[in-house]
Amino acid sequence: MTAAQRALPRRWPLLRSGNLHGGWPSAFWFLLPALIGFVAFYLYPAIRGVYISFTDWNLIANEGDWVGTDNYDRLLDDSRVWDSLKVTIRYTVINIVSQTILAIGIAVLMDRLTKSVVIRGIILFPWLIPNVIVAMLWVWMLDGNLGIVNEFLGWFGVDPIRFFTDTDKVIPTLAGINTWRHMGYTALLIFAGLQTIPKNLYEAAALDGATERQMFFGITMPLLRPILALVLVITIVGSLQVFDTVYVATGGFGGQPGGPANASRVIYLYIYQNAFDFNQLGYAAAISVLLVVILLAVTFVQLKLLRAGESDLS
Amino acid sequence: MTAIADRIEQASGAFEPSARLRKLGIGRGTAWLILIVILIVSLFPFWWALRTGLSSNSELFAGEQSLLPVGYTNNNFERVLGTASETEILDSLGRQNTGSFDFWQSLKVSVIVATAITVGQVLFSGMAAYAFARLRFFGRDKLFFLFLSGLMVPPIFTLIPNLIFIKNLGWLNSYPGIIAPFFFMTPFAVFFLRQFFLGISREVEEAALLDGAGHFRTFFGIIVPMSAAPIATLAILTYITAWNEFLWPLVVARAPERQPLTVALGQFTAQQPGTSPDWSGLMAGTLLAALPIIVIFLAFGRRVVDSIGFSGIK
Amino acid sequence: MRKPIWRLIAVFIALTLVAAACGDDDDDGDAGEAQPAPQATEAAEESAPAPTEAPVEAVTIEYWLWDGNQQPYYQQCADDFTAANPSINVEIVQFGWGDYWTNLTAAFASDSGPDVFTDHLARYPEFVASGVLVPLNDYVARDGVDTGAYFPGLAELWVDAEGNRYGLPKDFDTIALVMNSGHIADAGVTAADFAAAEWNPDDGGSFQELIAKLSVDANGNRGDSPDFDSSNVEVYGMGLEGNFGAFGQTTFSGFAASTGFQFLDVNPFGDSANYDDPRLAATIDWYVRMIDAGYVVPIEDVESLGGTTVFQNGSAAVMADGSWKIGTYIGADTPFDVEFAPLPVGPSGSRASMFNGLADSINRSSDNQEEAWQWVKHMASAECQNIIGEAAVVFPAIPSAADIAVASHQANGVDVTAFTVHVDEGTTFLFPITDSASQIEAIVGPAMQEILRGQADAADRLSQIADEVNSVLGS
Repeated sequence: MTAAQRALPRRWPLLRSGNLHGGWPSAFWFLLPALIGFVAFYLYPAIRGVYISFTDWNLIANEGDWVGTDNYDRLLDDSRVWDSLKVTIRYTVINIVSQTILAIGIAVLMDRLTKSVVIRGIILFPWLIPNVIVAMLWVWMLDGNLGIVNEFLGWFGVDPIRFFTDTDKVIPTLAGINTWRHMGYTALLIFAGLQTIPKNLYEAAALDGATERQMFFGITMPLLRPILALVLVITIVGSLQVFDTVYVATGGFGGQPGGPANASRVIYLYIYQNAFDFNQLGYAAAISVLLVVILLAVTFVQLKLLRAGESDLS
Repeated sequence: MTAIADRIEQASGAFEPSARLRKLGIGRGTAWLILIVILIVSLFPFWWALRTGLSSNSELFAGEQSLLPVGYTNNNFERVLGTASETEILDSLGRQNTGSFDFWQSLKVSVIVATAITVGQVLFSGMAAYAFARLRFFGRDKLFFLFLSGLMVPPIFTLIPNLIFIKNLGWLNSYPGIIAPFFFMTPFAVFFLRQFFLGISREVEEAALLDGAGHFRTFFGIIVPMSAAPIATLAILTYITAWNEFLWPLVVARAPERQPLTVALGQFTAQQPGTSPDWSGLMAGTLLAALPIIVIFLAFGRRVVDSIGFSGIK
Repeated sequence: MRKPIWRLIAVFIALTLVAAACGDDDDDGDAGEAQPAPQATEAAEESAPAPTEAPVEAVTIEYWLWDGNQQPYYQQCADDFTAANPSINVEIVQFGWGDYWTNLTAAFASDSGPDVFTDHLARYPEFVASGVLVPLNDYVARDGVDTGAYFPGLAELWVDAEGNRYGLPKDFDTIALVMNSGHIADAGVTAADFAAAEWNPDDGGSFQELIAKLSVDANGNRGDSPDFDSSNVEVYGMGLEGNFGAFGQTTFSGFAASTGFQFLDVNPFGDSANYDDPRLAATIDWYVRMIDAGYVVPIEDVESLGGTTVFQNGSAAVMADGSWKIGTYIGADTPFDVEFAPLPVGPSGSRASMFNGLADSINRSSDNQEEAWQWVKHMASAECQNIIGEAAVVFPAIPSAADIAVASHQANGVDVTAFTVHVDEGTTFLFPITDSASQIEAIVGPAMQEILRGQADAADRLSQIADEVNSVLGS
């Protein structure tokens, strides 16, 4: 019996037995278009990618020979892979923490202060601009000499900050940019989740003399868990695959993508370099496989952890 | 994730926000202040883009930092729209226009591509999501997890195989080629709608099925209308994502007359290594390219942000 | 508003219709458009038996370039070409530098792409190794193209170790100093001073004295004054291109080469590099000292918006840059007058400038290689190069056409002989050609960024990476 079946209440015997919703014949037509797309544009390329990871595939020539596990052996010895993983994890942690906290904050503020659609619309604006342009815009605004942000900081007596070219600041800066772009989007998802929390729970708690703080951690956070799970899965998967922003913003108009001094060479950028710059698609595919395995593991663990408290409401 | 639905069903009753605000540790004024700061941070870069787009390139780097345009001109917007005269172009650019950028043609491509992708993706993903949420067939959960893991496949993995596939179909430089990979499904769309379908009350559906309605009639007649809000939300998200898609249209639509706005804007980025982009043209172009999205969003954002998560389920 | 979805769909459809009405409709949605060429060829073959009945169907050659500045003039070449060869149309497609290479790589990977494209020395050896270019030897021999018509050395750059030619030269570039006229006048320095300057990596010679004099701190003290505050500089004596790089084309290469340093044991196609040469370490170390002294702009300031922007902002008085950027400096983007001077004379007794050139190559997957060759040949001919020279966007590869470019600048009151003097006096060295340029860039580039930040010692770090580079080259 599947989990979904168990979840069905006993008073719907027909659904439970599966008589009405019986089998592949009816599901087939619903699934057919999506299956075509999935097989053609996801599954086949993924399987081909795994195959390529066992070859010395030359991207440009579009051919390669079977080399067994050579690429994987090389990967284990390649310190750049592990360095770039560290960079990626650092980025992900900063990005997730800042984005999630800000988004929860914004969602709660909106929930409490106003129902204004204009305000809700405005915080989603940054998400309407493509990544590449967002990166360029911030390079323009955050430049050490000419950026308006440093001009502002100067008014407060702060010395110019080299956001992108200081090896310690580049990753937090990139995380900040992506937080800026995504916080409204995330906040709206969380805001939607907040709407699903029964208000009478707060009323009851308030009658019992609970403080705001207690209500937030005792009611809001636990009941937000399903939405947070969705949000976290999507943002973590996105963060571990961050690429465009890093490529454009650190490449800038003079630097090297992943710079300075490889301080922002995230794993996806290293994959891109191997494939598109070094022409070694076989090796790039092997690193991609590693990345996919990591992503699957992270997602799996996350869903398990977040599901543990599913019965919070009852 | 079914828990979301349970909570949604229990959500009821209006609650007076101001009553709870009084209990909020921070004052209402402080809360508003924080929200306003967040709104400014969200909006300021847009002002900066507009300010840059209204400035003349030669004065951007020269003068003092000013919050207002420097060397005010609407020449850049005219250049993007193709209404600037030869001499105006020479004045602001120092060279002839290259002439391969046709804003209206690229706008048309963007609209056609984003519309087709949205209609196809939402419809087909919705059908698949219904099968995963409601129908019962062998291997359903495994198949769903397989779909979901498509979310983890790095796009760089699929780029080249998809390009070869599209080329073999003879679809390079064509609308079908640009649209196809996103037309049938994305893992996110299936995941998103499944979560909402899971939350829909089964009673109505059960009744319809017992009355002898087929699954297609149940889906289009009951599920879709009841899920109007999440479907509309997904449609908007899909539209924006498709509108901002860059790498795929770049490699598949090489002919200028098939380039959507994101790719065509490359006209204003750096032409040579080490040079700056045409900042004012780029920002003017970016704003004009985002305008249709902003209009759509303002027109329908209210429905979406208002109703995510609950209105369709009453 | 109970069913927003239907409203949405209605609006999307309405938008589509509006857009469709706005755009020109003559090119609507035909998937076959991508491959007009094969169809056209078939048509041509079919009509061959009865040539009198139907005129030969035109073939379209797709040509890619990255520099939008050049596009109008190559369009003019294309128009002339089609006028002379009515059966061949040329469609020019332009992508900015970054998108260009991504797209070209993807095109090769899918056996598609342009028939002819602008090729770069840093990339072409990898294309050759992957077998995606058409060798031109037979065409050159058949049509009697004189590869000696170009500046010496340019044509040979495009021949691989086996003697196969993969490109015909179209232009060349050298490096010179660009100077902010106002800044140098304020310091009482002239272009002639720079032209006569000498440089060495130990004390920087008279060149270092010049850039010290050009540096100004916030209190108005110049770099040659003891009061100069190197931590609060308003104008740096010398700017830097942000991508210092492995080959330092516009940054260290000319200085390092003037010490006698060479990148490769053999160029082109060497199999060992000389990154552990002490003369290179001394040169890089000079940059580090100059940055500390406040005479050269810190690398952190130019990596983001780029060295050109910093120069245009007036924050640097002098900067080394390539001849392809002349248009940027004399154009509307640079709000002051500039002058040019050749790079200084180094310890070897002469100046040195990297000598690089672009060529047009033919894609192996082209269905119309004969027509593609005709177009390549036209672009490499005096007829087209004179047009490019007249426009003076770059220096054409044919000397007489390059003279036209110099004269054209002269007519506008701009003296660009600082760039050509390197060629006239034979003080150029060739761009180092290896079949793993991008891997070397990925190893050396970040190391240079560390050294210039003072995070690593030049000699130590360079000898570390030398082994790494050589193992890449040897493999």
